Amino acid sequence: MSYRIARDLEDALQLLREGRGAARIIAGGTDLFLQELPEALVDLTGSPETRGICAEEEMLNVGACVTHAEAAASPLLQEGATALAEACGQVGSPQVRHAGTLGGNVVNAAPAADAAVGLVAMGARAVIVDTAGSRRQEAVENLYAHYNRSRVDSSREILLHFTMRKHGPGEGSAFKRFASRKSLSLPMFSVAAVVRLEQGLLQEVRLVAAPVKPAPTRLPQVEQRLQGLPASAETWRLAGDLVREAVAVRGSALRCTAEYRRHLAGVLAERALQEAARRAAGLKAGESK
Amino acid sequence: MKVLPGDQATVSASAEEDFQSAEVWDKVSGKTVYGIDLRLPGMLAGKILRSPHAHARIKSIDITGALKLPGVRAVLTGADMKQKPYGIVVKDELPLAVDTVRYIGDEVAAVAAVDEETARRAVEAIRVEYEPLAAVYDPEEALQAGAPQLHGDFPGNLAWERLLERGDVAKGFAEADVVVEETFTTRAINHAYLEPISCIASVDSYQGLTLYTALQSPHIVRNLLAETLDLPPSRVRIVGPAMGGGFGGRVFGNLKVYLLSALLAMRTGAPVKIRLTREEEFIAGRPMVPVIFKVKMGVRRDGTITARESDILVDNGAYSAQGPWVAKTISERNDSLYRIPHIRTRVRLAYTNKVPTGQLRAYGNQTANYAYETLLDMAARKLGMDPLELRLKNCVGPGDITVHGLEIKSCNLAQCFKTAAAAVGWDQKKPGRGYGISGAIHANGSVVAHKDFRGAAAVVRLEEDGKFTIFTGEQDYGQGTHAVFAQIAARVLNVSPQDITVCSKDTAVIPYSQGAFAMRQTTIGGHAVRLAAEDLKQKMAGLAAELLGAEAELSGGVFRTPDGAELPLPEIAYHWRCRHNGLAMTGEGNYNPPGSAYDSTGYGNIAVTYSFAAHAAEVEVDPQTGALTIHKIVAVHDSGKIINYTASLGQVFGGVTQGLGYSCFEGYLFDGGQVLNPNFATYQLPTALDVPPIEPLFIDSEDPEGPFGAKGLGEIVQVPLLGALSCAVADAIGAPVTSLPMTAEKIYWAAAGKECLE
Repeated sequence: MSYRIARDLEDALQLLREGRGAARIIAGGTDLFLQELPEALVDLTGSPETRGICAEEEMLNVGACVTHAEAAASPLLQEGATALAEACGQVGSPQVRHAGTLGGNVVNAAPAADAAVGLVAMGARAVIVDTAGSRRQEAVENLYAHYNRSRVDSSREILLHFTMRKHGPGEGSAFKRFASRKSLSLPMFSVAAVVRLEQGLLQEVRLVAAPVKPAPTRLPQVEQRLQGLPASAETWRLAGDLVREAVAVRGSALRCTAEYRRHLAGVLAERALQEAARRAAGLKAGESK
Repeated sequence: MKVLPGDQATVSASAEEDFQSAEVWDKVSGKTVYGIDLRLPGMLAGKILRSPHAHARIKSIDITGALKLPGVRAVLTGADMKQKPYGIVVKDELPLAVDTVRYIGDEVAAVAAVDEETARRAVEAIRVEYEPLAAVYDPEEALQAGAPQLHGDFPGNLAWERLLERGDVAKGFAEADVVVEETFTTRAINHAYLEPISCIASVDSYQGLTLYTALQSPHIVRNLLAETLDLPPSRVRIVGPAMGGGFGGRVFGNLKVYLLSALLAMRTGAPVKIRLTREEEFIAGRPMVPVIFKVKMGVRRDGTITARESDILVDNGAYSAQGPWVAKTISERNDSLYRIPHIRTRVRLAYTNKVPTGQLRAYGNQTANYAYETLLDMAARKLGMDPLELRLKNCVGPGDITVHGLEIKSCNLAQCFKTAAAAVGWDQKKPGRGYGISGAIHANGSVVAHKDFRGAAAVVRLEEDGKFTIFTGEQDYGQGTHAVFAQIAARVLNVSPQDITVCSKDTAVIPYSQGAFAMRQTTIGGHAVRLAAEDLKQKMAGLAAELLGAEAELSGGVFRTPDGAELPLPEIAYHWRCRHNGLAMTGEGNYNPPGSAYDSTGYGNIAVTYSFAAHAAEVEVDPQTGALTIHKIVAVHDSGKIINYTASLGQVFGGVTQGLGYSCFEGYLFDGGQVLNPNFATYQLPTALDVPPIEPLFIDSEDPEGPFGAKGLGEIVQVPLLGALSCAVADAIGAPVTSLPMTAEKIYWAAAGKECLE
């Protein structure tokens, strides 16, 4: 088996070309090392094009090899993509957060991956280049082929970075998850919410839930029903009920029953929306209007 | 600070009380060599083929493919077994299945090869033809007529049963004003020690067998292996490397691993190492038994308990291991915590086609604590009485002879309750929070398991350089036993504990011992060390007086006469050694605990003495999700005079954390006979972030049996926690959670008044 550390993006693409389909990108390895390894690995984490978080006007660019720990600690993301920073801060354990990357989280395609839920809520798009030299952009939720299978073919494609619009005035977001222990536990359910408030009314809502389908799942019918409603406890309760109706969930002997998971979906939606609205109104945790 | 008697319990540590043996520093600095690390020259790797069926007849086994693989040295199957069935309590096991497999993981064949990879491929190359049989997984179904049968010798799948009656329960319930009853269930619990069991077996040219493996009770296991392998016990030697955790799981360890590595070594003539994988530890270890308690209790309006009736069903799994003993402790120990005049308990142990079970630290006393203490709070709620008051009204005290004849010597149980309540804020309860308190009694050693051999022995040797070595069969695998023994001898010999080394891990050298279980190390083993040190001191003083011509006092490693003549210890050692042609001066001690008039109904004193404890918990439940926040655990212990504070604190923090896992996180999940969570990703131990603030407190008592008044601590640290947490949760939500672990989902449904749809 070979393990090669790419100097930069071009080097990584070249190594993939030389691998002729047998080489695969590794970007952190916290999931990959649990699986049967391919015969050649190309480590992307040293490529400067995949590192770093930067703001360009109203956009945020987040490198695919930014670690969860870096994302969680980034003031740019805490301010401009709060739900994403929060989600990254709850992945796995400190060790996993320091090694695992956002790009890896998305390409691993687990149905309840925290960072991916945050990215989809932010409306993030992935910039992907391939060995033939072409470059495309896709919404993160469209990168899922099936449970635990990505549309990104990491033997010939490289997810370079994510791009998303940062929170503007009157916008806020939050991520809520529920798990059986405080660390190293997959969530029974997670919800991310992004809202824009105008004069106390919900002008725009993005609500993402997981695990529901292979990809983090937007709930457009709930989003539409909430549009124009006041940011109030009554609205959040309604949202909870709507989410319980909207999500199809399964029970699992290892985690919880479907009934409880459906119940949690509503609770987490209420809490995520309430927190997002509080932030949109410029209030800190615990404060109320 | 100093520990004070009575209510003013605190924690303190002087330099001597804080002494740690060298092995502690080796562990924390990564120098320790564990069994799993060991290699011998020419060593082969052993692997086990396990049954994929919960219950099946073996029609044929074809090993030709495995034997053809280069590097394979031996393949053993049931056809090679000349052994008679063996067992710890019930003889129902063979090293390899002969014609029937009874659980997924049952040992079918064993391979020795030049390396693990070859052994693994050889195991895969063995072809077994099975005829699947109907299987039974539920202990209640197993006992019903027509259920699939596991063992011909145990018709109806009943491995063991007992009806225990004291007084007259009908009369007791007639006297009660309030009766409460409930059914509680618990899951199988894995010891989750960090080092999976590993064993290297090596044979000499005269078939002398040496096993390199870490055990809590090496001599008992040695005798069991010798009997099963038909070898004289003196030809079987167990040498213990450091143990990576025991928690009761290595009293007997994994007998299959020892037997199969021995049989493979005997077949090949080469050393053979078998090390279990983590998955094997889960599917074929000996986890703590799952239990169903149907319990009922009567109480008078003033809080006096009048009667208790229990029907306890213990799921044995496919083989018995320590099942009957665990079932016995589960069904009776808690009866002696309170003054209950009338008791009727039926306990049954049922075979099922699942992983065989065993015992975990505290032997099921903690499991029963969950059921009985939760029931006690149900009575308190029905009576409108403070749960603390109800406990103080009924708890046993010094001088009591309990309902089963246990003779209570030193006992600060009531003070433990009061101190725990005060420390958790029982009188200033915060709104929105739940509070629970629970007590425990736990035996120190057994004087009835082997009526003629109740005690322990030790030898202390004076070395040439004036230092000392203790030889003991009692094992230290993290509890601090060796530090405590060094401290005990040091106190007698008036030297520093650092001048004393403890040797305990080689059955060829150490005194015969029962080993480390039932909290017998400090109380019984330590008592023997004290006697041995006193014997040696007397011998040294005799020689010193002779050489100095006057009586001399020992201090700081030197004997001094009143007129100033001095004789340091190395000179005593030198003179003795020369006089005795190389023999070292030794002191011998053997502690013989008082016997017991234990009768055929199980009435009578069972232990040298008893430790006591009370734990209290302050919790909060998120009403929307059932999520539990534990704000505080107070753990108050009466373990006599504490000898080593740091080690004692370690026991409390570790035991409470393990009990927290049992209460709220852990447990085997099955689909039929298949373990669904055989790894640490899915079998969820609490992480560091899940451990709440723990406040340990000790209330000294002066025990007449333990050395310098000390009693045991290592098991009781887990016992009251389960009841305290369960009672606190019930207090927070107004209803008990009737099965473990108390997950957020179960708490949520219990609060909503619904059954959990597991």
